[in-house]
Amino acid sequence: MPEDYTPDVRTDYIAQMMDISLYLKRPSRMGDSKRMRMTSNFQWLLLTVLLLYLMNQVNSQKKRTPRDLKCITNNLQVWDCSWRAPSGAGHGAAYEVCFENGSHSCYRLEKNIKLPALLPGDHEITINPLHDFGNFISKFTLNEKNVSLIPDAPEILDLSADFSTSTLHLKWNDKGSVFPHHSNVIWEIKVLRKKNMEIVKLVTHNTTLNGRDTVHHWSWISDMPLECATHYVGIRCYIDDPQFSGRKEWSDWSPLKNISWSPASQTKVFPQDRVLLVGSDITVCCVTQEKVLSAQIGSTYCPLIHLDGKNVAIKIRNISASESSGTNVVFSVEDNMFGTVIFAGYPPDIPQKLNCETYDLKEIICTWNPGRPTFLVGPRNTSYTLFESFSGKYVRFKRVELPTNESYQLFFQMLPNQEIYNFTLNARNPLGQSESTLLVNITEKVHPHIPTSVKVKDISSTAVTLSWHLPGSFAKIKLLCQIEINKTNSVHELRNVTMRGIENSSYLAAVDKLNPYTIYTFRIRCCTDPFWKWSKWSNEKQYLTTEAIPSKGPDTWREWSSDGKNLIIYWKPLPINEANGKILSYNVSCSSDEETQSLSEIPDPQHKAEIQLDKNDYIISVVAKNSVGSSPPSKIASMEIPNDDLKIEQAVRMGNGILLTWNYDPNVTCDYVIKWCNSSRSEPCLMDWKKVPSNSTETIIESDQFRPGVRYNFFVYGCRNQGYQLLRSIIGYVEELAPVVAPNFTVEDTSADSILVKWEEIPVEELRGFLRGYLFYFEKGERDTSKMRVLESGRSDIKVKNITDISQKTLRIADLQGKTSYHLVLRAYTDGGMGPEKSMFVVTKENSVGLIIAILIPVAVAVIVGVVTSILCYRKREWIKETFYPDIPNPENCKALQFQKSVCEGNSALKTLEMNPCTPNNVEVLETRSTVPKIEDTEIISPVAERPEDSTDAQPENHVVVSYCPPVIEEEIVNPGADEAGGASQVIYIDIQSMYQPQAKPEEEPENDPVVGTGYKPQMHLLVTSTVEDLAADDDLDKTAGYRPQANVNTWNLVSPDSPRSTDSNSEIVSFGSPCSINSRQFLIPPKDEDSPKSNGGGWSFTNFFQNKPND
Amino acid sequence: MLPAAGEPAAGDSWGMLACLCAVLWHLPAVPALNRTGDPGPGPSIQKTYDLTRYLEHQLRSLAGTYLNYLGPPFNEPDFNPPRLGAETLPRATVNLEVWRSLNDRLRLTQNYEAYSHLLCYLRGLNRQAATAELRRSLAHFCTSLQGLLGSIAGVMAALGYPLPQPLPGTEPTWTPGPAHSDFLQKMDDFWLLKELQTWLWRSAKDFNRLKKKMQPPAAAVTLHLEAHGF
Repeated sequence: MPEDYTPDVRTDYIAQMMDISLYLKRPSRMGDSKRMRMTSNFQWLLLTVLLLYLMNQVNSQKKRTPRDLKCITNNLQVWDCSWRAPSGAGHGAAYEVCFENGSHSCYRLEKNIKLPALLPGDHEITINPLHDFGNFISKFTLNEKNVSLIPDAPEILDLSADFSTSTLHLKWNDKGSVFPHHSNVIWEIKVLRKKNMEIVKLVTHNTTLNGRDTVHHWSWISDMPLECATHYVGIRCYIDDPQFSGRKEWSDWSPLKNISWSPASQTKVFPQDRVLLVGSDITVCCVTQEKVLSAQIGSTYCPLIHLDGKNVAIKIRNISASESSGTNVVFSVEDNMFGTVIFAGYPPDIPQKLNCETYDLKEIICTWNPGRPTFLVGPRNTSYTLFESFSGKYVRFKRVELPTNESYQLFFQMLPNQEIYNFTLNARNPLGQSESTLLVNITEKVHPHIPTSVKVKDISSTAVTLSWHLPGSFAKIKLLCQIEINKTNSVHELRNVTMRGIENSSYLAAVDKLNPYTIYTFRIRCCTDPFWKWSKWSNEKQYLTTEAIPSKGPDTWREWSSDGKNLIIYWKPLPINEANGKILSYNVSCSSDEETQSLSEIPDPQHKAEIQLDKNDYIISVVAKNSVGSSPPSKIASMEIPNDDLKIEQAVRMGNGILLTWNYDPNVTCDYVIKWCNSSRSEPCLMDWKKVPSNSTETIIESDQFRPGVRYNFFVYGCRNQGYQLLRSIIGYVEELAPVVAPNFTVEDTSADSILVKWEEIPVEELRGFLRGYLFYFEKGERDTSKMRVLESGRSDIKVKNITDISQKTLRIADLQGKTSYHLVLRAYTDGGMGPEKSMFVVTKENSVGLIIAILIPVAVAVIVGVVTSILCYRKREWIKETFYPDIPNPENCKALQFQKSVCEGNSALKTLEMNPCTPNNVEVLETRSTVPKIEDTEIISPVAERPEDSTDAQPENHVVVSYCPPVIEEEIVNPGADEAGGASQVIYIDIQSMYQPQAKPEEEPENDPVVGTGYKPQMHLLVTSTVEDLAADDDLDKTAGYRPQANVNTWNLVSPDSPRSTDSNSEIVSFGSPCSINSRQFLIPPKDEDSPKSNGGGWSFTNFFQNKPND
Repeated sequence: MLPAAGEPAAGDSWGMLACLCAVLWHLPAVPALNRTGDPGPGPSIQKTYDLTRYLEHQLRSLAGTYLNYLGPPFNEPDFNPPRLGAETLPRATVNLEVWRSLNDRLRLTQNYEAYSHLLCYLRGLNRQAATAELRRSLAHFCTSLQGLLGSIAGVMAALGYPLPQPLPGTEPTWTPGPAHSDFLQKMDDFWLLKELQTWLWRSAKDFNRLKKKMQPPAAAVTLHLEAHGF
């Protein structure tokens, strides 16, 4: 509200008013100091009453003049001033208002005045009420600062709604024409929802006034579909005019306008089929006349928000991406359900890896990757438009099913004479759009198609032409093609061909430097210049080049037949690169000065020919022929130049092959030939040969035919003008092995101290290496004993002789004993190892002198000893008699037998029993004397009366320490039938239960008597027949008795599920001893004394309590 | 009720195998292949019956896939929406008395008409489906259903009944208008599958009845034994 304007009223009461104002201040001061003194309050109260009276007087005076001049403006042009009428002035009272604004002007009017806006500064206004009460003229000073600017409430021109997007559109006029100058306006708009008008949005909107009426728009997207509830909108404004110095205030709110959806009869859910961004919030409502029971999004139930009527809404926050068919929101009513589908996804990602290229310069293919999936499919899928800005043409991407990760592609028809293309790929879906651009010179982005129709044509045997087809308009550009030439078993070769591009045509290229009669595989790929991408390789095309004449004659060798009449000519098949075709036949001719013999048309697989020749000097020439022609002849002389100075050398493979060396011989002009053969083969022996140039002095012979342990002969020939001369002869092995047989040896001669042994050589085939020597072992030994013994050189009794002189074939072994069997062993060895051994037993001849000495010396010694002994015995005969033959002693005095006897008589003497093997277990055993069976008697007869003290009393006398052994359980003893028989040597096993249940079988007492009278007794007596109350006494027994089971007997009884219940004994079966104690179950067998059969009955056993008791 | 979405149990695949075997077994009985003489409508009824059973199995897996595609709550086992819209779908449910009162010709005609309509809707469904896999399944099922339609036509021809002529203008078309919301569309899809299922049940019953009627008693015993295979 505007501040009250205080008029400068000229009255007679000015002084009074000053006083009053003083008084007015005082009470307030008093109020502040109220807590200081309360005693003087009364005085002040009186003053206040007086003051109030005076105030009333003044007011009554004031009320008679116009008061509270208040001026407001709503357009800055007119000030609307009003004042409060004097009291007593009736309705319709008139006033004369005068003010100075350049000129003095007075108006006669009622209540208020509309003044034109006054200039800045103070202006005096006098208001004179025209009535009878007197001349109470009010004079006011008016300044712009005291004027309030309150604009008129704005008026909403239009409020409309777009229900599909939940958007409200507000339209209003700012009425700017009424304002004299430009100023800023702040609009405040409020949106209210539902009938109870909840404010859902309060927003300010800034505009400027520009002196004209302007219609403003404001739109607002509701978080709740507009169909769900009525929405109200109001607006007010605040004009912020910088030139106006007075108060500026908000206008009143405009009248509210509302938007509501007129529901059809059908229930509906809003929004329908809305597409929105993942992670956003959405309110879904159900406009219905029925009561909604539940609402769910997908399978999740949501709390209901009640709106007007029966309408409900649910709020979904941070929605996750939808499945391909959208997210279902379902509202259930009593017998029906309503729903909508929401599609939550993402706006399209910027198309990635946009690339445009052409295959044929006719059509551009642009590919791209869609990037992040939008989760929107079907009609909401991203649509792409490829726009070319220079031509203004575009193509649209038609929806095809592609996995989202795969790239998309679009074809754009190339335009004639346009090389540079500026592509913009626009991606759009309901949530937004994105784009990516590419400027491309298409002639630099040619990725040619795969070359097709590859054809090969002959030019010659070493050159062909290749032709292929490459579709595309390459007329203006250069093509670079690559030809890959593949030969079997060879590295592939690439040759580049550059050519001018032609419009849709075939291309041709010559390929030379090929080998005749060779299978080649060609394939081609092309690119353009400048290089962008190779095309794919074309299909492979295989081609066999034509034949050419063989480039060389075959490699030839000759051998004389074994009878020396025929010359055998050998040649090797030409390698494929020299044959230059299929070799059909060979021609062989032998020419000397006198004659020429020839063998023609020897078909190909045959590589040998035999010609009968005399020993003249012949030149043999061999020619290979294929379909094109004959090879140059390869010549060889038949003559062999003898070499007297020839040694046979040895060689073994080193590394890869057998290394052969020879000295350089200047006479050798053509070449060296090394031929080799298996030494065991008959002549002419030839496996293979090798030619080495004449300047070399060594070669390595390798062959797959070489086998370890086989001896090969190598012959090095030097070729001279006249013929070949054998330079060296070498025997060799690729690998030496141990001999497979032992040398066959015989004993040539035997004497009393020596043996002469002779052996034979081992054949070469069985030697399998170079013989390095023999090992000869000999030892004493019979045939039978040493048969199984293995000869070891380390043994001291075996003598070994190593014979390294391989020419030695005999050996004399000396220093042997006569008439002794010797074991002789001979074995050969090579560098490959020891061969098998061959053994023989030889007995040396008898040595007669030694035998005689060996008999005579012991006889003489025996006679001497006998004589000396006889003499001594005779001299000392008395002493001998005393010592060795005393008088016969009285057996009565034999103390050694006393112990045995006392046992026999059954005396109750202490004795110690030792049994081995024995693990002493210190178990105290009672051996009751057969003479004192009373304890057992009482025990059996009156078990209840039994006292543990009784047994302890009885024990000192009967205390026998018996080390018992955990016995080997003899099953046959347990035979119940044997128990009854009571054999002298038998041990009777009696179940503890049967022992302690005499009442059940009283008639068996006499039989049991001796049994229980001896042997082991438990350290305490337990009352087996005890019932539950007896068990209560167990604690007492514990104190008095000796050994007790480790736990309460009672509990064992309970935990023995298998224990049989003896119905006739009418007593509970009590377990003794720990069921876990194995030791306690062992039988304790007293010494088996044959002389006292009664004591044998006392065998004790803690039988298994879980078993049925043995037969009584 | 339609079966819940999910993988077909092992038993299903055995059943399907049995169906296929049965179809193959009866292939020689197809009149077109059998030149020995007219065997009557029996074999073709049997073949149609077998095809119905096979389609039931096929639909079970298709419905699982499709309801999963529709998303929850459509794939929930206890989802049972009211039949909103979908009014043009031929209803398979019929009063037992009414069903009994139908004669063979009426029965076959109703079957034929129903499957013609359903096939048309199903093709529309195929056009709408968003994923390629779903489209493949639907296309496969459409082919099978087309086969069933052919079989029914064959049976009708064998029995001497004329094929029903579609009335002009009543040809069902799949027009998902803009007023048809996605949710209502999904409801229709759901009902389409459900009606299909019910129709297949009903057809199996119809053809079984027809089969028993047409077969001589001895043959009926054999077929009865075979039916145990399912």
